[in-house]
Order: sequence, then structure tokens, then C-alpha cells
Amino acid sequence: MSEQKNDAELTLADKLYRTKYEPDAAHPHITVDQAICDRCGERVCLKICPAEVYKADPADPKKINVSHENCLECGTCRRACKLCSVKWNYPDGGKGVKYRFG
Amino acid sequence: MADDEKVKVDAIVVGGGPAGLSAAFTMARAGLEVILIERGEYAGAKNVGGLVYGAVLNRLIPNFWEQAPIERCVARRSLVFLNDDMHVGLDFGADEWTRPPFNNTFVVHRSQFDRWFSKQVEAAGANLIEGMVVEDLIYEETAGRKKAVGVKLRGDEAFYADVVVLADGANGLVTEKVAQTLGLKGGKTAQDYAVGVKEIIALPKATIEDRFQLDDGQGVALDFFGSPFKGLTGGGFLYTAKDSLHLGFAAKMETLAHAGVSPNEVLDGLKRHPVVRKYIRGGELQEYSAHLIPEGGFHAVPELTGDGVLIVGDAGGFVNMSLYKEGTNHAMDTGRLAGETVVAAKKAGRFDRAGLAGYEAAVRQSVAWKDLKRYRKVPEILEKSPNLLSLYPAKANRMIVDFFTVNGLPKGVAQRKAICSFLRGLPKWAFVRDVIRARGLM
Repeated sequence: MSEQKNDAELTLADKLYRTKYEPDAAHPHITVDQAICDRCGERVCLKICPAEVYKADPADPKKINVSHENCLECGTCRRACKLCSVKWNYPDGGKGVKYRFG
Repeated sequence: MADDEKVKVDAIVVGGGPAGLSAAFTMARAGLEVILIERGEYAGAKNVGGLVYGAVLNRLIPNFWEQAPIERCVARRSLVFLNDDMHVGLDFGADEWTRPPFNNTFVVHRSQFDRWFSKQVEAAGANLIEGMVVEDLIYEETAGRKKAVGVKLRGDEAFYADVVVLADGANGLVTEKVAQTLGLKGGKTAQDYAVGVKEIIALPKATIEDRFQLDDGQGVALDFFGSPFKGLTGGGFLYTAKDSLHLGFAAKMETLAHAGVSPNEVLDGLKRHPVVRKYIRGGELQEYSAHLIPEGGFHAVPELTGDGVLIVGDAGGFVNMSLYKEGTNHAMDTGRLAGETVVAAKKAGRFDRAGLAGYEAAVRQSVAWKDLKRYRKVPEILEKSPNLLSLYPAKANRMIVDFFTVNGLPKGVAQRKAICSFLRGLPKWAFVRDVIRARGLM
């Protein structure tokens, strides 16, 4: 008997797509100091962010790309980054993630 | 801005969660002029949770469940220990939990519930300003001592007040800045955070009621422990809403970082577990969310008052992370007490630290404080005895399943084998010590 398609098969991109945002592409609320990231061995941000906002650049694996528009605003990254490379501020008022259920 | 244009009120509350809303409600109802500033488009837009504990709210708004957007009352609870291929559950409930005050435990969608609460706060007379970010406080310095006198909003606007109540939550950037500026002392230990992630999974109401054996309006809260959490310090949960489920988990940030696993992968693992998979079958994902939880407990609670400021709720670390996992009630309790303190300070006309000292004194008498104190060792217990969440439940599950396995052996032999298998590889002295320690979790 074939199992009915389960939500466990959803990718993170699918999950974020179903979550509502008020995007603000012009004002990134997260930046990283690439010079600090260059000498980071741990790179905790790549794994610990629930929305995978931080990704190693495919062309230059030392470089960290930040997709701030996917941010769920939990604030995990700024506390997990021991080198304090992550500069995180609140998005502008009314912008960013907008939970309908929460 | 000329002085006569300056907006000055009695109190400003930063953050529209349960703590800030309770503070604003208490002050507004006592006739104070209050501004509450929320950075989301509406109060609740940034808030995440599934259960609301209503004992304090029922004092503020009697029988609030008659008008609040409650999804279901929690008629039943369940602790479920999962191995990869077996499970043992402890299920309990009571008829009295289905009657007012419903054991003060409700499944809600926090974005909707907090928004409703904010309307009550507005109706009580507070000014709700949504979609504005507080960057920092404004201070006045006399004789080398700084006192908060207002808030600076992003985009140059400012509001002034005698007191600022800081309710900016677990990810509270304003509270951090204020603590630094005013030199407020941290707790005995640094605040220790867990990361929580959660999904809302839609299912027809009738399906939920059949699948979880619920009557109309009644719900269940399940807590999961064991193998899906890969030895992390944390666990999962499933709460039934009206026509959706909250399914999520939370684990200590450090243990996630150490294990190098992503929260989303762990959540997917939980969803694939045979027990959970059957609960969510056919459901459709509506929303994915993430939030921090301050889990440092009693020893991580910082100094809560400074000149012109009070800290409430998650911003102060008021979460009980024992088996009971309560936070919303403590948030509302500290918010209420801060509100009452400001009302008294207004009468006395003093808003410096000494004038607000009644808050810390009241907090020390509160249920929130007593519970945090009782469970002060929880972070230490979980750190020192990680087997409590992994090895022991796994072995206990196996033993219970073995006891009930029908395989043609005489019961005496089967039971002896089950016990031997439980004891094999068990660090016995550590086990005894851990079990004694584990009492601190209950």
C-alpha cells in the first residue's frame, strides 16, 4: 500500500514559501563581517539557522552568503556566532516575517 | 523637536507579547497613560508558541476563554518516549480539565491570541503603536547617574515617559542595550538559550477529533522525548488546534551547534518517526516558524530594575524549563507585577531604581519566581546527566516492550531476559546518581 504523500517530504524552501513575509530587499537586517568569517573554523551559522539563511558561496566556499529575506527572526545566529561576525538588527517596522499562526 | 511637541506619557512598554500586554493592561486599567510599541505589523506577528497558560490572564480578564481565540482546551496530556522503532507513552487527562477554568491550559495560535489580547489592552485605554522599532532608550543624566526617560524609534521619532517596561522577549536587543548602559547585573549564570522550530499542519477538524479521540473543543498536548532528538538536550511536542496541529521541537543551542545538525532536519526526522507520521498523515503545511527560548532559569535572571526601567517576561528569562515548560503565565505574571509597581510609583512620584524596587520584591513572592527557584538545577541536571533524555528512556522502552513481547518463552524467562538486557551496558552508579538528580525535573 503506498503511503499518502507526507509533509516530511517538503523541502525547507517549500516550508519558507508557505510562511508569510513582508519583504524588504533594500534593507538587509543581517550582515556578516567576511574578514571574521574567513578565519572561522566552526561555521556554526551554516547548520544552526532554522531557515538556512547562511550559505557558503558555491564559487568561493570561504564566502558566506546571507539570504536575509528568509530570516524567521529567532536571533539564534547572533548568539551562536562566537566570533560576533553576525550583525543582526530588527527589520524595519512591519517588515520581515509575519506569522499568521505563530 | 521643541519641548511642547514632546509626547510624554506615564509609561512606555516595548514589545507586544504576553508580558508587555499584561503590563500595559494593568497600567491602562489603573488610569495611567500608556504607549505600547510593537515592531511587528500587529502584536503577535513575531510571536511563536502553542500553549497558553491562563491562570494570570484569568485574573486580568475573568473568563477570557469566552471571548479569546482559543483553539482547544487541553483535556489530555501525554508524555511519549520514542525509540527508532518503538514507543512508550504515559497518557493522562481529567474531565475537570474540560470545564472552566480548563486547567488553565489552552492550545492557541499565538499570532491570533496575542493580537486579540492587544485589542483588550487598547480597549483598556492604552495606545498601541504597531510596526515601529524601538532602537534604544533615551536617558537623562544627573550627578553621573543615567535614568531612562523615553524611547528612540527608528526614523528619529521619540516618545517620553516616566518609566519604560522592557518586554522585547527572548531576542530582546533593547533590553541588552539597556542592561549595558545602566550596568544592570546579569544572573549568576549567563542566559542559556534553546532554539525552537515548529510547523502548523492543517487537517480537517473531524480528522483531528477522530485521530486523537477528542470531543469538540477539546485538545491534547503531547511531549516527545528520545531518539528523534539524537542526544540533543531537548524534546518535541504536538498540540491539537481546531483544524491544524502544532508540531515542533526545541533543543539547547549549544547541543545543536555541537552536534552540527540543523533544527529543520531534526524536525523532519521527528515527522518521519512512525508514531508522529501517523498523526500528521495527509496534513498540509501552513507555516514554519522559529523562536528562541531562554532556558537558563533561576540563576540566569538578571537584575530586573534600573532607573526608569523594568524588565518582564522572556526578556528577563522567566521560563520554567522543567517537565512543565511554562512561560506564558510567568510572562503575564511579571508583566502584571511590573504594571502594579508603576501604578504605585506614579502615586509616590518616584521612578528611579529605589522607587521601582517594589517590582523585584513582588517578583520574589510570585509563582514565577518560586517555580524558577524550585527548578533552578534543571539546566545543570540536563547538562550533567544527558543520559536522562537518551540512554535511559531508550532502555526503559525496550524493557517495557520486552515485558509484553509474546514469543513462546515462559514469562519468568522473558522477564529475566528483559531485565538483564536493561542492565547490560548501563553505567550503574551513574544511573543511580542520575535518577536521584532527575527528581529535580519534576
